[in-house]
Amino acid sequence: MTAPDPSRPDRPGSLRQFLGVLGLTLVFLVVLDVMVAGLLGLAQSRGVAGSLVRYFEYGRSVPGKLEAWQAAPEAQGNLFDVGWIEAQLNDSLTGPDAPGGVVRSYGMSFVDNILRQAVAADPALAVDRHAGPGAPPNYTYAVFLDDHLHRQAGDVAVLGILSSSVPSLAALSNRTWVFEQPAPYTYPVFTPAQDGGLSRIDPLITSPAQERALAQDPAAEAAWTAQLAQEDAFYGAPTFGATALDVSPFARLVRRALAKSHVSDRKTAVLAGGFPYAQVLSRMVTGFAEQAQTEGVYPVVFLIQTRDPNDPDLLAVLGPVLQEHGIPYLATAEHVDPRDPTAFVGDGHYTHDNDRLFAEAFLRLMATRSAAQ
Amino acid sequence: MLFTELNFWVFFAVVAALYIMLPHRGQNRMLLVASYVFYGAWDWRFLSLILLSTVVDYLVGLAMAREPRDQRRRHLLGISLAVNLGMLGIFKYLGFFVDSFINLSNSLGIPADPVVLGIVLPVGISFYTFQTLSYTIDIYRRDLEPTRDFLDFALFVAFFPQLVAGPIERASNLLPNISMPRQLSWEALARGSVLCLVGLIKKIVIADGVAPSVDAVYASAAPSGADIAVATWLFAIQIYCDFSGYTDIARGVAKMLGFGLMRNFAQPYFAADPQEFWRRWHISLSTWLRDYLYISLGGNRGGRWATYRNLMATMTLGGIWHGAAWNFVLWGIYQGGLLAVHRALAGRHQRVGEGDRRSLTGWVLRIGAILLFFQVVCYGWLLFRATSFGQIVDFTGRLLTPEAGYLDLSLPPPPVAALLGMLWLLFWDVLVEHSGNVRFYRGWPVVLRAGLYAGMIYLLAFGATTQTAAFIYFQF
Repeated sequence: MTAPDPSRPDRPGSLRQFLGVLGLTLVFLVVLDVMVAGLLGLAQSRGVAGSLVRYFEYGRSVPGKLEAWQAAPEAQGNLFDVGWIEAQLNDSLTGPDAPGGVVRSYGMSFVDNILRQAVAADPALAVDRHAGPGAPPNYTYAVFLDDHLHRQAGDVAVLGILSSSVPSLAALSNRTWVFEQPAPYTYPVFTPAQDGGLSRIDPLITSPAQERALAQDPAAEAAWTAQLAQEDAFYGAPTFGATALDVSPFARLVRRALAKSHVSDRKTAVLAGGFPYAQVLSRMVTGFAEQAQTEGVYPVVFLIQTRDPNDPDLLAVLGPVLQEHGIPYLATAEHVDPRDPTAFVGDGHYTHDNDRLFAEAFLRLMATRSAAQ
Repeated sequence: MLFTELNFWVFFAVVAALYIMLPHRGQNRMLLVASYVFYGAWDWRFLSLILLSTVVDYLVGLAMAREPRDQRRRHLLGISLAVNLGMLGIFKYLGFFVDSFINLSNSLGIPADPVVLGIVLPVGISFYTFQTLSYTIDIYRRDLEPTRDFLDFALFVAFFPQLVAGPIERASNLLPNISMPRQLSWEALARGSVLCLVGLIKKIVIADGVAPSVDAVYASAAPSGADIAVATWLFAIQIYCDFSGYTDIARGVAKMLGFGLMRNFAQPYFAADPQEFWRRWHISLSTWLRDYLYISLGGNRGGRWATYRNLMATMTLGGIWHGAAWNFVLWGIYQGGLLAVHRALAGRHQRVGEGDRRSLTGWVLRIGAILLFFQVVCYGWLLFRATSFGQIVDFTGRLLTPEAGYLDLSLPPPPVAALLGMLWLLFWDVLVEHSGNVRFYRGWPVVLRAGLYAGMIYLLAFGATTQTAAFIYFQF
C-alpha cells in the first residue's frame, strides 16, 4: 500500500545556485508587488473601492489609517470622531419629561440594537444611548461614572458588558486592539485598588481635537506614545511600527497577519492572568449598582455573550456577583445559545429576532421594577 | 507551538543555528532537548508519558534481541503493547467507554450517574505510540536490530517535526538517519523551504480559509441539501490541506536538518477506488495498519470471507485510532466496507479507469471514476465531521430527499484567497500526478521557478489574514 516518494537523493547544489533562485524570487516578488500597487491605485483613482481594495487597505499601520481618516473626513467607514467620551457626555439628554424616567445606556451597538427593539415594542420608553464601537467595559463604566450630572432619580442605567471586549480592559483605546477598524477614541484603564474599589488611569488624549493636534506637537505625541506603551497591553510594533512599509500591498498583507496574531496573543495573555479581569469586572458591576442606587437610579447590567467560544463566559464570571448583590441583569446567554451560528448575522451582531427576544426580557425587568415601586 | 505561528519559526531558527554549529552527536542531543521543549510547550506533564514509552520500548528492544526463546520474546512484546496501548486506552478511550456504558445503561432503564473523569488527551499520543510500537514489533519479528544508544532512540520517539501529527515513521527509516551523520546542503535547504511554503499555503490559505464555511453548516440546525453537499466537499478539501499541509511542513523542516521523512499523501483525491485511495491517503498510517494489524490478522491468506473480515476489522480499528467517538467508528466501518466491496468486485471486473489512459475514452472514464469516487469519499467525511449520530442521520436524510429549498445555498462563502488557493492546489497536484514527480518544478527554467515561488509567497501573504486554527489531526 506504499506510494514511493519519487524524489531523488539530494544533489549537493551550490550556494550560488541557491542565492540565484532566492534573489530572482525576491525580484519577482517586488515586480508583483508593484503591479498590485498599480492596480489598486488605478482602482482607487477611479473611485472603485471594492472589497478587494479594502482587503489590502486593512493592513495599513494604525498611524497610517488614522492619518488617512484625518485627511479624508468624509471617507466611508471613517471612525476618527466616533465614541469619544467627551462628545458622548455633551450629547447626553438632560432630564426630559419621561413618565418612567430615562433609560440611560452605556454600551455599544449590541446594547443599542436591544434598546431599539425595546422602543419599538414600547414607544413610550425614553432612551438616551451612549456607545462606542465594540466598546470595552472600561469605556462603558467610565461613561457611566462621568455622566452622573445628567442622571436623575427615577432613571434607569444600563451598563453593557461585551464578552469579546473584556480583554480590552487592559487597553486605553480601540486603536491598539481593533487593528482593522482602529477607532482612536480613548478610555481609562481600571485596576483593583487597595480599598476594594478601582483605581483609574486616564488617557492623556481625550478628544479628537487633541488627537489632531499631536501632529504639531512632537512632545505631546511622544508622551502619549509612552503612555500607550506603558499602560496599554495591546500596543506593539506589529500594529504601530514601520509605517513606511504601508506603501507596499505585500507588506500590508503581512502586517495584517502579524497584527491579528499579535492582538490574539495579547488577548490570550490578558485572559490567562495577565490582567485581573474577573476582579475588575466584579468591582465594576458592584460599583455601578452602588452608585446608581445612591442616585436613585435603577441599575441593569447587560451581559452580551458574542459568538467567539474563546471569549470569557460572562455569566460564569459575573452571574454569582450579580445574584449575590441582587443587581438586575440581562444575560443574552440565558436566552440564546451563543454557540449557535444562526443566532448571529454576518457581521457578528445578533439577529433582529434575538434582539427582540432580549428586548422583551429587558421590558419584563422594567415591569418588575415598576411593580416593586 | 503551531507550525503556523511565528514563535515556532523563531524556535526553529534557534534550533537550526545551534544545529549548524554542533557535531553529529551534539546535534542529536540538542534535537532531543528541542523536541522535549517543543512538546512541553503544550503540556510539560505529558512528557512523562513519552519518557515512559521511550524507556520501556528501549529496554524491551534490547531484552528481545538477547532472548532466543519465542515465548519470552512474546512476553516482552506484551509488555510493550500493554504499556503503549494501555496509555492510549486510559488517556484516549477510557472516558469514551465509560460515557458509552452509562448511556447504554440509562437507555436500558438501569440508572447510572454520569462520571466526570476529566482526562485530558495528550497531544500526538496516537502518533508516537504507534511509532514506538513499530520498533518493538519489528524487533520481535527479527526485521530490525535494536539500537544501543538510548538517546538516539529517545530522539526517534520524540523528533519534533513529526512528533504530534506524523508521519508515523518506521525505525528502519528514521533511526539510521539519526545514528549516521547527516549532510546539510543548499539543495536540502531549498527543497525544505518549498515544502514548508506548500504546507503553509495548504494550511493557512485553504484549510483555515474554508473552515468557517464548513463549521457554519455543521453547527446549523436545518441546512439545505446544497449547503450540506458544498460544506462536505469543502471539508474534504479542508482536512486534506490541514493534514497534508502539516506533513509538508514537518517534512520540510526535517529536510532542512538533513532528515528524510516519508511521504504521507499522494494526491488522494485522484483515486478512483478505495484501494487506490488508501495507497494515497495517510500513507504512514495505512501501511502501519497493513503491516502490523491486517497481516497479523491473516491478511488475505484465509480465503475471501476472512479477507473481508480482516479488512473490516483493520479499518474499524483505524477509525477508532482517529478518536474516541462513534462517528469515527462508523467512518472506519464505512471504509472497511468500501474496501471489502471493492475487493469483491475487483476480481470480476477490470478496475475503472485502468484502461488505456492515453486514449480520450480512457481519460474520460478515469476522470469520471475519480469524480464519482470523490463523492463516495465525501460521504465518509460527512460521517467523520458530524458532531453526533443524530446529525449523520439528519444530514443523510436531507441529502437524499430533495424538498423545497433543497438547492438554497446559505453557507458563508470562502474568502477569495481560499478560492485562489484551491485553484493553485489543483494546478500543483495535477502537475505532480502528471509528471509522477513531487519536484516537477525542479526541471523548469530558473526564471519560471522563481516566478512560481514569488506567486506562492504572495498567495500565502494574501491568505494569511484568516484566523488560524490548530491542526485537526492534533486531536488524534
